[in-house]
Amino acid sequence: MTGYIIRRVIQAVFITLGVTLLVFLLLHLLPGGPARAILGPRANGVQIAQFNHDNGLDQPVWTQYWTYVQHLATLDFGYSYKLNQTVGALLAEDLPKTLVLVGLSYVLAIVIAIPLGIYQAVRRNRIDDYVLTGASFVFYSMPVFWLGIILIVIFSEILRLLPSEGPQGATVGDLFGQFTSLILPVVTLALGTVALFSRYMRSSTLENLVQDYVRTARAKGASEMRVLFFHVLRNALIPILTLIGLSISFIFSGALITEALFNYPGIGLLFWNAAIQQDYPVILGVVVVTGLATILGSLLADVLYAAADPRVRYTKA
Amino acid sequence: MTSRSSWRGRGAAAFLGLVATVVAASCGGASTVNKTTATFAELPGSAPNYILPLAKLQFFSVANLTQFQYLMYRPLYWFGKDGQVQLNDSLSLANAPQYSADGKSVTITLKTYVWSDGQALTSRDVQFWQNLVTANKNNWAAYSPGEYPDNVVSTTINSPTSLTFNLSQPFGSLFFLYNELSQISPLPQHVWDKQSATGAVGDYDQTPAGAQAVYKFLDEQSMSVGTYNTNPLWQVVDGPWKLKSIDTTGNVKFIPNTMYSGPVKPKLTEFDEVPFTADTAEFNLLKGGPTGPNAIDYGYLPEADAVQAQKDAITNLGYSFQPWAGWEVSYFPENFTNPTSGPIFLQLYFRQAIQSLVDQQTYIKRAFNGYAYPTYGPVPVKPTSQFVSPFQQTNPYPFDVTKATGLLQSHGWTVNPGGISTCTAPGTAANQCGAGVPAGAQASFHLEYASGNPAFDAMMAQFKTDLSKAGIQINLSTNTFNTVIGNATPCQTGHPCTWDMEFWGVWVYSPDYYPTGDLLWQTGAGSNSNAYSDPMADQLITATETSNSVQAMYQYEDYLAKQLPVIWMPTTFLQLSMINSHLQGTGPQDPLANIYPENWSWS
Repeated sequence: MTGYIIRRVIQAVFITLGVTLLVFLLLHLLPGGPARAILGPRANGVQIAQFNHDNGLDQPVWTQYWTYVQHLATLDFGYSYKLNQTVGALLAEDLPKTLVLVGLSYVLAIVIAIPLGIYQAVRRNRIDDYVLTGASFVFYSMPVFWLGIILIVIFSEILRLLPSEGPQGATVGDLFGQFTSLILPVVTLALGTVALFSRYMRSSTLENLVQDYVRTARAKGASEMRVLFFHVLRNALIPILTLIGLSISFIFSGALITEALFNYPGIGLLFWNAAIQQDYPVILGVVVVTGLATILGSLLADVLYAAADPRVRYTKA
Repeated sequence: MTSRSSWRGRGAAAFLGLVATVVAASCGGASTVNKTTATFAELPGSAPNYILPLAKLQFFSVANLTQFQYLMYRPLYWFGKDGQVQLNDSLSLANAPQYSADGKSVTITLKTYVWSDGQALTSRDVQFWQNLVTANKNNWAAYSPGEYPDNVVSTTINSPTSLTFNLSQPFGSLFFLYNELSQISPLPQHVWDKQSATGAVGDYDQTPAGAQAVYKFLDEQSMSVGTYNTNPLWQVVDGPWKLKSIDTTGNVKFIPNTMYSGPVKPKLTEFDEVPFTADTAEFNLLKGGPTGPNAIDYGYLPEADAVQAQKDAITNLGYSFQPWAGWEVSYFPENFTNPTSGPIFLQLYFRQAIQSLVDQQTYIKRAFNGYAYPTYGPVPVKPTSQFVSPFQQTNPYPFDVTKATGLLQSHGWTVNPGGISTCTAPGTAANQCGAGVPAGAQASFHLEYASGNPAFDAMMAQFKTDLSKAGIQINLSTNTFNTVIGNATPCQTGHPCTWDMEFWGVWVYSPDYYPTGDLLWQTGAGSNSNAYSDPMADQLITATETSNSVQAMYQYEDYLAKQLPVIWMPTTFLQLSMINSHLQGTGPQDPLANIYPENWSWS
């Protein structure tokens, strides 16, 4: 297992470099270049030349890329053209906020979805299963922005119980100081995920309930609760663990719509604005972080899978 | 809101109480507000992030200048008075400039102002600005080769309160005041003239190398947004406000500068600017009302929500609706350098035909819900100003399909309404298509416009329909604002260049307030995006810079209004402000996007 993890980490470095190269080349294929896009319609030739020189954009693309990789090796992600901050500082500011928002929503989703899925499996094809299945489909198919607006209308405008915007401030401490402000954005994100996870959990539980080991456990006199939570749960969690591992990239890539709707500046919004403004260093910085998170998430899923299922072992082929 | 309240109410008394509250709120009420602070909504993605008044172009924005720097660092001459574009003597730091008889020098006399540390604002502070901008002009956003500071040959300090700029040639007093002197901001030389944080203050700015080193230091200090409220450099101000706190997300808090020497001292104890990720987020807070959690006192109704019902809903909560007209014009350039379509666009009759198919009144009514105003030439018709000529106050090319069709037919085009018109009489005679337009040339073009604005989508769809009535086909596409701006540059040999028309929105005349067009339509000008070139236009633009009479401006704008260097489109408001009804002193709103929180108070 250790060897497998080391191989995957080394692999991750090369994949990340490949992703940066691809994105770097694609960015430089965009027409017009960033100078006029950043400087706006007032820019004259002198100012555009000055901008390109200051940012090394007058160098050949390969030279630019090599310089970027050298800086990346020292964790220097560059300087935003537009936001007057280092990309590292921007990531350090926005990434924790996104981690809090998306992380809390996933925790909430898991806490609700797993028992819900088991309950539905146990109560399969009964009225409460149908109702919960219907509700799951409604939340899963509902666009996030629509769900968010509905929650704002109900809880902020009609009932006036919760703020319509997320917590404000530059630090994570600021966020937890305004905990009630976190509720609506977290719930908005979580509801769709609950629907997804609970459907997986229900199916997985149903599959396990008809397995021989369950029949054996019952034949040996195990209580229904013991069968469910001691035997079935561990096996039924395997697909959910895979799903959670792969979802880590989403945690890092942010929740653009939720962030925009609830005035909660996170990494999703940072990336979106950078893409619109052709702020290359920021785009590349977010791509690197998200790429690494995707690879590590996939690795985590594999590790958790092996931990949950002793039959799975990773050996060198 | 009334029905919702009655649903929640249980008794008649409670119901009546609620109704009374609603009525009071909707009437603006005689009630008072026990507040001493006010919040102002920043536009999405426009948090202040550059404090040095000598800003680079990427930081040259309303958010950084008029709504941030100007609150702390006042320009030498203040423009914007009573909601109009004019010199504001009262708020200016100097008396009106005095020109020499030969027009080759101008003398400035400062009023009595002090910095917040008690030091007097002197002519040395103006000279400090002048030296920094001269030595670092390529880094300064407002620099245009040949203009300020190139046209100031030398600066002479006459006394602590007087200095003289010696000019390269005589300039018109309007042009030099509104476009050149308007750009000067005195800087606290006694604090900022240093090359490192620990170094001593000196006279480093007196040499170009020294001035570059000082600028480099100040620029570096300006790159640390989170330290603005603690860095000693930025604590010395001459404006009505000082920074209390700022963070990198855009939360800014100002407190009054108790040493402010100007005529109006702040009445609020704090003025806050708050950031938004999107219009929707700001609108959600507005809907919470002026007393809701994190309520905004000075916000805006997003354009996409600018319908009567939404406007009424917000105003009924206790906001006052005030559209804010800016000093700007809206247009789109046709690419005169496109090898295929350029020769067609170079024909005046063709541009006149297109302009005659722009139904501005309908676009304003249907696409912008009435919240826009027409553009007839290079000078804005709103707000009222002395610069708009009588001719340009009416539409030289009103919507007229018959006229547009006639123009094409009389110049050798076979018009195919609903289809594509073609040139069937090539040549340069008066009844032929014109130079460079071959037989079979098609009136079919591509128009790319900035995405994300539903009003633009509606306007462009209608425009496409209107053009098709004369057989002019346009294929519409959208792209980001920045990409549209990036694409709209004249074609260069050896580089692919296929754009026909690009529409991004407006051009704002600031901080060069005299709308001469020298940056836009003079041959070779930096922002002349379609390479328009006309010797007569060049001559008239030059005249606006050298004449002391506004008549020169009239001649220039009348000519360009007829010549159509671009196609004029309806101009939108800066924003559709929603202001807490109890917040006094907010109007009239300044067309130059300045805000005056020092005038605000609560009733």
